[in-house]
Amino acid sequence: MIYYLIMCRSLTYAQRTAHALERAGITAQILRSPVSISPSGCSYCVKLTGRNLHKALEVLNRAGLPHLGIFVGSGDDGYREVDL
Amino acid sequence: MIYFDSAATTLQKPPAVSSAILNALKSQASPGRGGYRAAAEAAETAFSCREMASELFHVSKPEQVILTFNATHGLNLAIRTLVKQGSTVLISGYEHNAVTRTLAAIPDLKLRVIDTPLFEPEQFLRKAELLLTRDVDVVICNHVSNVFGYALPVYPLSRLCAERGTPLIVDASQSAGVLPVHLDELQAAFIAMPGHKGLYGPQGTGLLLCARDAEPLLYGGTGSYSRLQTMPDFLPDRLEAGTPNIPGVAGLLAGMRFVQEKGIDTIANYESGLAASVADGLQMLPGVRVFRGKKPGLQTGVVSFQVDHAGCEELGEWLGKQGIAVRAGLHCAPLAHQTAGTTEVGTVRASFSAFNKKTETAHFLAVMKRFCSAR
Repeated sequence: MIYYLIMCRSLTYAQRTAHALERAGITAQILRSPVSISPSGCSYCVKLTGRNLHKALEVLNRAGLPHLGIFVGSGDDGYREVDL
Repeated sequence: MIYFDSAATTLQKPPAVSSAILNALKSQASPGRGGYRAAAEAAETAFSCREMASELFHVSKPEQVILTFNATHGLNLAIRTLVKQGSTVLISGYEHNAVTRTLAAIPDLKLRVIDTPLFEPEQFLRKAELLLTRDVDVVICNHVSNVFGYALPVYPLSRLCAERGTPLIVDASQSAGVLPVHLDELQAAFIAMPGHKGLYGPQGTGLLLCARDAEPLLYGGTGSYSRLQTMPDFLPDRLEAGTPNIPGVAGLLAGMRFVQEKGIDTIANYESGLAASVADGLQMLPGVRVFRGKKPGLQTGVVSFQVDHAGCEELGEWLGKQGIAVRAGLHCAPLAHQTAGTTEVGTVRASFSAFNKKTETAHFLAVMKRFCSAR
Protein backbone atom coordinates (compact mmCIF):
# COMPACT_ATOMS: atom_id res chain seq x y z
CA MET A 1 0.00 0.00 0.00
CA ILE A 2 1.33 3.41 -1.00
CA TYR A 3 1.82 6.09 1.62
CA TYR A 4 3.48 9.48 1.79
CA LEU A 5 5.89 10.98 4.28
CA ILE A 6 5.81 14.76 4.66
CA MET A 7 9.22 15.76 5.98
CA CYS A 8 9.21 18.39 8.75
CA ARG A 9 12.09 20.38 10.16
CA SER A 10 11.18 19.79 13.80
CA LEU A 11 8.90 17.79 16.04
CA THR A 12 6.87 20.93 16.74
CA TYR A 13 6.36 21.52 12.99
CA ALA A 14 5.37 17.87 12.57
CA GLN A 15 2.85 18.32 15.38
CA ARG A 16 1.45 21.49 13.82
CA THR A 17 1.25 19.70 10.46
CA ALA A 18 -0.50 16.64 11.90
CA HIS A 19 -2.95 18.79 13.89
CA ALA A 20 -3.83 20.91 10.82
CA LEU A 21 -4.45 17.77 8.78
CA GLU A 22 -6.50 16.09 11.50
CA ARG A 23 -8.65 19.22 11.78
CA ALA A 24 -9.31 18.94 8.06
CA GLY A 25 -10.38 15.32 8.49
CA ILE A 26 -7.17 13.76 7.13
CA THR A 27 -5.65 10.99 9.21
CA ALA A 28 -2.02 11.85 9.90
CA GLN A 29 0.60 10.08 11.98
CA ILE A 30 3.79 11.62 13.32
CA LEU A 31 6.84 9.39 12.82
CA ARG A 32 10.56 9.68 13.24
CA SER A 33 11.94 9.94 9.72
CA PRO A 34 13.66 6.86 8.26
CA VAL A 35 17.45 7.41 8.39
CA SER A 36 17.79 6.82 4.63
CA ILE A 37 15.83 10.00 3.84
CA SER A 38 17.03 12.11 6.73
CA PRO A 39 20.59 13.16 5.85
CA SER A 40 21.02 15.53 8.81
CA GLY A 41 20.16 12.90 11.40
CA CYS A 42 17.05 12.62 13.57
CA SER A 43 14.00 14.37 12.16
CA TYR A 44 10.25 13.99 12.00
CA CYS A 45 7.70 13.37 9.30
CA VAL A 46 3.97 13.00 8.99
CA LYS A 47 2.61 9.86 7.34
CA LEU A 48 -0.44 9.99 5.05
CA THR A 49 -2.23 7.34 3.07
CA GLY A 50 -1.98 7.64 -0.69
CA ARG A 51 -5.36 9.17 -1.43
CA ASN A 52 -4.98 12.25 0.71
CA LEU A 53 -1.82 13.92 -0.58
CA HIS A 54 -3.40 16.50 -2.85
CA LYS A 55 -5.92 17.64 -0.23
CA ALA A 56 -3.23 17.60 2.47
CA LEU A 57 -0.98 19.90 0.46
CA GLU A 58 -3.84 22.35 0.01
CA VAL A 59 -4.49 22.33 3.76
CA LEU A 60 -0.82 22.90 4.59
CA ASN A 61 -0.52 25.64 2.02
CA ARG A 62 -3.53 27.44 3.47
CA ALA A 63 -2.13 27.08 7.00
CA GLY A 64 1.28 28.41 5.90
CA LEU A 65 3.05 25.25 7.05
CA PRO A 66 6.16 24.58 4.95
CA HIS A 67 7.67 21.12 4.57
CA LEU A 68 11.09 19.83 3.63
CA GLY A 69 9.94 17.48 0.87
CA ILE A 70 7.62 14.55 0.40
CA PHE A 71 8.60 10.93 -0.04
CA VAL A 72 6.49 8.07 -1.28
CA GLY A 73 6.91 4.65 0.26
CA SER A 74 5.39 1.29 -0.58
CA GLY A 75 6.49 -1.56 1.60
CA ASP A 76 9.97 -2.93 0.94
CA ASP A 77 10.99 -0.75 -1.99
CA GLY A 78 12.39 2.11 0.07
CA TYR A 79 11.47 5.74 -0.52
CA ARG A 80 11.39 7.99 -3.52
CA GLU A 81 11.11 11.76 -3.35
CA VAL A 82 7.96 13.08 -4.95
CA ASP A 83 8.45 15.70 -7.62
CA LEU A 84 5.85 18.34 -6.82
CA MET B 1 -0.85 28.22 57.62
CA ILE B 2 -2.07 31.33 55.85
CA TYR B 3 0.03 31.70 52.73
CA PHE B 4 0.62 35.24 51.50
CA ASP B 5 3.80 34.70 49.47
CA SER B 6 2.36 34.00 46.04
CA ALA B 7 4.58 36.63 44.40
CA ALA B 8 7.41 34.17 45.10
CA THR B 9 5.54 30.94 44.34
CA THR B 10 1.87 30.06 44.46
CA LEU B 11 1.74 27.25 47.01
CA GLN B 12 -1.89 26.27 46.61
CA LYS B 13 -2.42 24.82 43.14
CA PRO B 14 -5.53 23.59 41.36
CA PRO B 15 -5.92 19.82 42.00
CA ALA B 16 -5.52 19.16 38.25
CA VAL B 17 -1.90 20.32 38.48
CA SER B 18 -0.67 17.55 40.80
CA SER B 19 -2.75 14.96 38.89
CA ALA B 20 -1.14 16.02 35.61
CA ILE B 21 2.35 15.88 37.14
CA LEU B 22 1.75 12.42 38.55
CA ASN B 23 0.29 11.16 35.29
CA ALA B 24 3.28 12.46 33.33
CA LEU B 25 5.71 10.87 35.79
CA LYS B 26 4.01 7.53 35.37
CA SER B 27 3.33 7.44 31.66
CA GLN B 28 5.36 9.98 29.70
CA ALA B 29 8.97 9.66 28.53
CA SER B 30 11.15 12.07 26.52
CA PRO B 31 9.49 14.04 23.73
CA GLY B 32 11.23 13.81 20.40
CA ARG B 33 13.45 10.94 21.45
CA GLY B 34 11.45 7.92 20.29
CA GLY B 35 8.53 6.67 18.20
CA TYR B 36 6.82 4.74 21.00
CA ARG B 37 3.67 5.75 22.85
CA ALA B 38 5.25 7.16 26.03
CA ALA B 39 7.46 9.47 23.92
CA ALA B 40 4.51 10.49 21.74
CA GLU B 41 2.44 11.35 24.84
CA ALA B 42 5.27 13.48 26.21
CA ALA B 43 5.55 15.23 22.85
CA GLU B 44 1.81 15.92 22.90
CA THR B 45 2.09 17.40 26.42
CA ALA B 46 4.86 19.77 25.31
CA PHE B 47 2.95 20.77 22.19
CA SER B 48 -0.31 21.32 24.09
CA CYS B 49 1.57 23.53 26.56
CA ARG B 50 2.96 25.63 23.70
CA GLU B 51 -0.49 25.88 22.10
CA MET B 52 -2.16 26.90 25.37
CA ALA B 53 0.51 29.54 25.98
CA SER B 54 0.10 30.79 22.39
CA GLU B 55 -3.59 31.27 23.06
CA LEU B 56 -3.21 32.94 26.47
CA PHE B 57 -0.40 35.26 25.42
CA HIS B 58 -1.35 35.93 21.78
CA VAL B 59 1.65 34.24 20.17
CA SER B 60 1.12 33.44 16.50
CA LYS B 61 2.99 30.11 16.34
CA PRO B 62 3.54 27.48 19.06
CA GLU B 63 7.22 27.09 18.18
CA GLN B 64 7.75 30.66 19.44
CA VAL B 65 6.98 29.39 22.97
CA ILE B 66 10.15 28.10 24.63
CA LEU B 67 9.96 25.86 27.68
CA THR B 68 12.38 27.17 30.29
CA PHE B 69 13.30 26.32 33.90
CA ASN B 70 11.96 29.64 35.24
CA ALA B 71 11.71 33.32 34.29
CA THR B 72 15.39 33.90 35.10
CA HIS B 73 16.36 31.30 32.50
CA GLY B 74 14.16 33.02 29.91
CA LEU B 75 15.54 36.45 30.78
CA ASN B 76 19.10 35.15 30.45
CA LEU B 77 18.30 33.77 26.99
CA ALA B 78 16.74 37.07 25.91
CA ILE B 79 19.40 39.32 27.43
CA ARG B 80 22.32 37.22 26.19
CA THR B 81 20.84 37.36 22.68
CA LEU B 82 20.32 41.12 22.50
CA VAL B 83 22.83 42.68 24.90
CA LYS B 84 26.50 42.52 23.95
CA GLN B 85 29.71 43.93 25.38
CA GLY B 86 29.49 47.73 25.25
CA SER B 87 25.73 47.84 24.62
CA THR B 88 23.58 50.68 25.95
CA VAL B 89 20.59 49.33 27.84
CA LEU B 90 17.60 51.20 29.26
CA ILE B 91 15.81 49.52 32.18
CA SER B 92 13.06 50.40 34.61
CA GLY B 93 13.96 51.23 38.19
CA TYR B 94 11.94 48.24 39.34
CA GLU B 95 13.94 45.37 37.86
CA HIS B 96 14.66 42.14 39.71
CA ASN B 97 18.15 40.69 40.11
CA ALA B 98 17.19 38.26 37.32
CA VAL B 99 17.74 41.24 35.03
CA THR B 100 20.29 43.38 36.87
CA ARG B 101 22.72 40.58 37.74
CA THR B 102 22.53 39.21 34.21
CA LEU B 103 23.35 42.67 32.87
CA ALA B 104 26.13 43.17 35.42
CA ALA B 105 27.88 40.10 34.01
CA ILE B 106 28.21 41.72 30.57
CA PRO B 107 31.36 43.85 30.26
CA ASP B 108 31.40 47.57 29.48
CA LEU B 109 27.66 47.96 29.65
CA LYS B 110 26.18 51.45 29.59
CA LEU B 111 23.09 51.31 31.78
CA ARG B 112 20.33 53.91 31.99
CA VAL B 113 17.60 53.60 34.60
CA ILE B 114 14.08 55.04 34.50
CA ASP B 115 14.12 55.70 38.23
CA THR B 116 10.80 57.46 38.73
CA PRO B 117 8.67 57.15 41.89
CA LEU B 118 6.22 54.36 42.64
CA PHE B 119 2.76 54.44 41.07
CA GLU B 120 3.56 57.39 38.79
CA PRO B 121 3.22 55.94 35.27
CA GLU B 122 3.08 59.35 33.52
CA GLN B 123 6.39 60.36 35.08
CA PHE B 124 7.82 57.01 34.07
CA LEU B 125 6.83 57.50 30.44
CA ARG B 126 8.14 61.07 30.34
CA LYS B 127 11.52 59.93 31.59
CA ALA B 128 11.51 56.91 29.26
CA GLU B 129 10.95 59.24 26.34
CA LEU B 130 13.95 61.35 27.39
CA LEU B 131 16.28 58.41 27.97
CA LEU B 132 15.31 56.33 24.94
CA THR B 133 17.69 57.94 22.50
CA ARG B 134 19.05 56.43 19.29
CA ASP B 135 22.08 54.92 20.97
CA VAL B 136 19.97 52.66 23.21
CA ASP B 137 20.35 49.08 21.96
CA VAL B 138 17.78 47.35 24.17
CA VAL B 139 14.99 48.27 26.61
CA ILE B 140 14.13 45.91 29.48
CA CYS B 141 11.03 46.47 31.59
CA ASN B 142 9.37 44.65 34.43
CA HIS B 143 5.62 44.49 33.82
CA VAL B 144 4.85 44.44 37.55
CA SER B 145 7.25 45.09 40.42
CA ASN B 146 7.64 41.99 42.57
CA VAL B 147 8.16 44.19 45.63
CA PHE B 148 5.31 46.68 45.32
CA GLY B 149 2.86 45.17 42.82
CA TYR B 150 3.25 48.38 40.79
CA ALA B 151 1.99 47.73 37.25
CA LEU B 152 4.37 49.66 35.02
CA PRO B 153 3.03 51.23 31.79
CA VAL B 154 4.61 48.59 29.61
CA TYR B 155 2.14 48.90 26.71
CA PRO B 156 2.77 52.64 26.08
CA LEU B 157 6.49 51.96 26.58
CA SER B 158 6.33 49.23 23.93
CA ARG B 159 4.77 51.68 21.46
CA LEU B 160 7.62 54.10 22.15
CA CYS B 161 10.16 51.31 21.55
CA ALA B 162 8.41 50.32 18.31
CA GLU B 163 8.44 53.94 17.08
CA ARG B 164 12.16 54.17 17.74
CA GLY B 165 12.98 50.67 16.51
CA THR B 166 14.49 49.53 19.82
CA PRO B 167 13.92 45.91 20.87
CA LEU B 168 12.05 45.40 24.15
CA ILE B 169 12.36 42.58 26.67
CA VAL B 170 9.47 42.26 29.13
CA ASP B 171 9.74 40.49 32.47
CA ALA B 172 6.22 39.16 33.03
CA SER B 173 7.08 37.28 36.22
CA GLN B 174 4.38 39.01 38.24
CA SER B 175 1.88 39.69 35.47
CA ALA B 176 1.47 36.37 33.65
CA GLY B 177 -1.89 35.04 34.79
CA VAL B 178 -3.08 38.30 36.36
CA LEU B 179 -2.78 40.95 33.63
CA PRO B 180 -3.11 40.76 29.86
CA VAL B 181 0.31 39.83 28.46
CA HIS B 182 0.00 39.87 24.69
CA LEU B 183 3.09 39.34 22.56
CA ASP B 184 1.40 40.68 19.43
CA GLU B 185 0.25 43.93 21.00
CA LEU B 186 3.41 44.48 23.05
CA GLN B 187 5.58 43.95 19.95
CA ALA B 188 8.30 42.84 22.36
CA ALA B 189 11.31 40.89 21.13
CA PHE B 190 10.96 38.56 24.13
CA ILE B 191 8.66 38.07 27.10
CA ALA B 192 9.86 35.87 29.97
CA MET B 193 7.65 34.39 32.68
CA PRO B 194 7.77 31.71 35.36
CA GLY B 195 5.34 28.81 35.50
CA HIS B 196 5.19 28.63 39.28
CA LYS B 197 3.55 31.96 40.19
CA GLY B 198 0.38 33.24 38.51
CA LEU B 199 0.20 30.33 36.09
CA TYR B 200 -0.08 27.83 38.98
CA GLY B 201 2.45 25.37 37.55
CA PRO B 202 5.20 23.71 39.59
CA GLN B 203 8.60 25.19 40.42
CA GLY B 204 11.21 24.55 37.73
CA THR B 205 8.97 25.66 34.86
CA GLY B 206 8.80 28.83 32.80
CA LEU B 207 8.15 30.20 29.35
CA LEU B 208 9.99 32.49 26.99
CA LEU B 209 7.85 33.98 24.22
CA CYS B 210 10.00 34.83 21.21
CA ALA B 211 9.14 37.26 18.45
CA ARG B 212 12.58 36.74 16.92
CA ASP B 213 15.46 34.27 16.79
CA ALA B 214 17.64 33.86 19.85
CA GLU B 215 21.05 32.53 20.79
CA PRO B 216 21.22 29.31 22.83
CA LEU B 217 22.54 29.29 26.39
CA LEU B 218 22.77 25.51 26.54
CA TYR B 219 24.08 23.18 23.86
CA GLY B 220 23.21 19.52 23.44
CA GLY B 221 20.73 17.03 22.10
CA THR B 222 17.38 18.19 20.75
CA GLY B 223 16.11 15.06 19.00
CA SER B 224 16.58 16.86 15.68
CA TYR B 225 19.36 17.22 13.06
CA SER B 226 21.57 15.06 15.24
CA ARG B 227 24.36 14.64 12.68
CA LEU B 228 25.08 18.36 12.87
CA GLN B 229 27.40 19.62 15.59
CA THR B 230 25.70 23.00 15.76
CA MET B 231 22.36 23.72 17.38
CA PRO B 232 19.40 23.68 14.98
CA ASP B 233 18.65 27.10 13.52
CA PHE B 234 14.91 26.94 14.26
CA LEU B 235 12.73 27.37 17.33
CA PRO B 236 11.98 25.82 19.73
CA ASP B 237 14.80 23.28 19.23
CA ARG B 238 17.51 25.96 19.12
CA LEU B 239 16.84 26.98 22.73
CA GLU B 240 15.80 23.65 24.24
CA ALA B 241 18.85 21.40 24.61
CA GLY B 242 18.48 18.29 26.76
CA THR B 243 15.49 16.41 28.08
CA PRO B 244 12.73 18.79 29.14
CA ASN B 245 10.92 18.68 32.47
CA ILE B 246 7.82 16.95 31.12
CA PRO B 247 6.07 16.40 34.50
CA GLY B 248 6.58 20.10 35.15
CA VAL B 249 5.32 21.03 31.71
CA ALA B 250 2.23 18.86 32.27
CA GLY B 251 1.61 20.68 35.55
CA LEU B 252 2.11 24.05 33.91
CA LEU B 253 -0.36 23.13 31.18
CA ALA B 254 -2.96 22.22 33.82
CA GLY B 255 -2.24 25.48 35.64
CA MET B 256 -2.71 27.54 32.48
CA ARG B 257 -5.98 25.74 31.77
CA PHE B 258 -7.14 26.76 35.27
CA VAL B 259 -6.22 30.39 34.56
CA GLN B 260 -8.03 30.32 31.23
CA GLU B 261 -11.16 28.75 32.72
CA LYS B 262 -11.27 31.13 35.67
CA GLY B 263 -10.40 34.14 33.54
CA ILE B 264 -7.46 36.49 33.96
CA ASP B 265 -9.74 39.47 34.73
CA THR B 266 -11.60 37.53 37.42
CA ILE B 267 -8.34 36.45 39.08
CA ALA B 268 -6.87 39.96 38.82
CA ASN B 269 -9.94 41.63 40.33
CA TYR B 270 -10.12 39.13 43.16
CA GLU B 271 -6.42 39.39 44.08
CA SER B 272 -6.25 43.18 43.82
CA GLY B 273 -9.44 43.34 45.93
CA LEU B 274 -7.73 41.31 48.66
CA ALA B 275 -4.66 43.54 48.40
CA ALA B 276 -6.76 46.70 48.65
CA SER B 277 -8.59 45.45 51.74
CA VAL B 278 -5.28 44.56 53.40
CA ALA B 279 -3.83 47.97 52.47
CA ASP B 280 -6.94 49.71 53.86
CA GLY B 281 -6.69 47.76 57.12
CA LEU B 282 -2.95 48.28 57.54
CA GLN B 283 -3.27 52.03 56.95
CA MET B 284 -5.57 52.25 59.98
CA LEU B 285 -2.85 50.85 62.26
CA PRO B 286 -0.47 53.18 64.07
CA GLY B 287 3.06 53.38 62.71
CA VAL B 288 2.36 51.41 59.55
CA ARG B 289 3.44 52.76 56.18
CA VAL B 290 1.72 51.09 53.22
CA PHE B 291 2.94 51.38 49.63
CA ARG B 292 -0.11 51.59 47.41
CA GLY B 293 -1.30 53.14 44.20
CA LYS B 294 -3.79 56.00 44.44
CA LYS B 295 -5.59 55.15 41.21
CA PRO B 296 -7.18 51.80 40.33
CA GLY B 297 -5.26 49.55 37.95
CA LEU B 298 -1.82 50.54 39.22
CA GLN B 299 -1.37 47.69 41.69
CA THR B 300 -1.85 43.93 41.46
CA GLY B 301 -2.36 41.55 44.41
CA VAL B 302 0.87 42.55 46.13
CA VAL B 303 1.21 44.94 49.09
CA SER B 304 4.45 46.05 50.69
CA PHE B 305 4.53 47.79 54.06
CA GLN B 306 6.80 48.87 56.90
CA VAL B 307 6.18 49.31 60.60
CA ASP B 308 7.97 52.09 62.48
CA HIS B 309 10.91 50.84 64.55
CA ALA B 310 10.23 47.21 63.60
CA GLY B 311 12.75 45.34 61.47
CA CYS B 312 11.14 43.81 58.40
CA GLU B 313 12.87 40.46 58.77
CA GLU B 314 11.94 40.30 62.48
CA LEU B 315 8.30 41.10 61.69
CA GLY B 316 8.28 38.53 58.89
CA GLU B 317 9.64 35.92 61.27
CA TRP B 318 7.11 36.85 63.95
CA LEU B 319 4.26 36.56 61.46
CA GLY B 320 5.63 33.14 60.45
CA LYS B 321 5.36 32.06 64.08
CA GLN B 322 1.73 33.22 64.04
CA GLY B 323 1.13 30.92 61.05
CA ILE B 324 1.23 33.64 58.39
CA ALA B 325 3.74 33.30 55.54
CA VAL B 326 4.93 36.61 54.10
CA ARG B 327 8.19 37.73 52.51
CA ALA B 328 10.46 40.31 54.11
CA GLY B 329 13.64 42.12 53.13
CA LEU B 330 14.77 43.23 49.67
CA HIS B 331 12.96 40.51 47.67
CA CYS B 332 15.95 40.00 45.33
CA ALA B 333 15.22 43.45 43.90
CA PRO B 334 17.60 45.99 45.47
CA LEU B 335 17.16 48.32 42.50
CA ALA B 336 13.41 48.52 43.14
CA HIS B 337 14.07 49.42 46.78
CA GLN B 338 16.66 51.99 45.74
CA THR B 339 14.15 53.60 43.36
CA ALA B 340 11.38 53.59 45.97
CA GLY B 341 13.70 54.77 48.77
CA THR B 342 13.30 51.65 50.91
CA THR B 343 16.78 50.14 50.58
CA GLU B 344 17.81 50.76 54.19
CA VAL B 345 15.15 48.65 55.84
CA GLY B 346 13.35 46.79 53.04
CA THR B 347 9.67 45.97 53.32
CA VAL B 348 7.31 43.22 54.39
CA ARG B 349 5.32 41.94 51.45
CA ALA B 350 1.96 40.20 51.44
CA SER B 351 0.98 38.74 48.08
CA PHE B 352 -2.17 36.87 47.17
CA SER B 353 -3.44 34.18 44.85
CA ALA B 354 -6.84 33.04 43.62
CA PHE B 355 -6.91 30.56 46.53
CA ASN B 356 -6.71 33.08 49.37
CA LYS B 357 -9.87 33.81 51.35
CA LYS B 358 -11.25 37.03 52.80
CA THR B 359 -11.26 35.37 56.21
CA GLU B 360 -7.49 34.98 55.88
CA THR B 361 -6.93 38.67 55.20
CA ALA B 362 -9.20 39.53 58.16
CA HIS B 363 -7.17 37.24 60.42
CA PHE B 364 -3.92 38.76 59.15
CA LEU B 365 -5.17 42.27 59.95
CA ALA B 366 -6.20 41.18 63.44
CA VAL B 367 -2.73 39.73 64.03
CA MET B 368 -1.09 42.90 62.74
CA LYS B 369 -3.32 44.99 65.02
CA ARG B 370 -2.11 42.91 67.95
CA PHE B 371 1.51 43.45 66.90
CA CYS B 372 1.10 47.21 66.57
CA SER B 373 -0.87 47.56 69.82
CA ALA B 374 1.76 45.72 71.82
CA ARG B 375 4.47 48.17 70.82
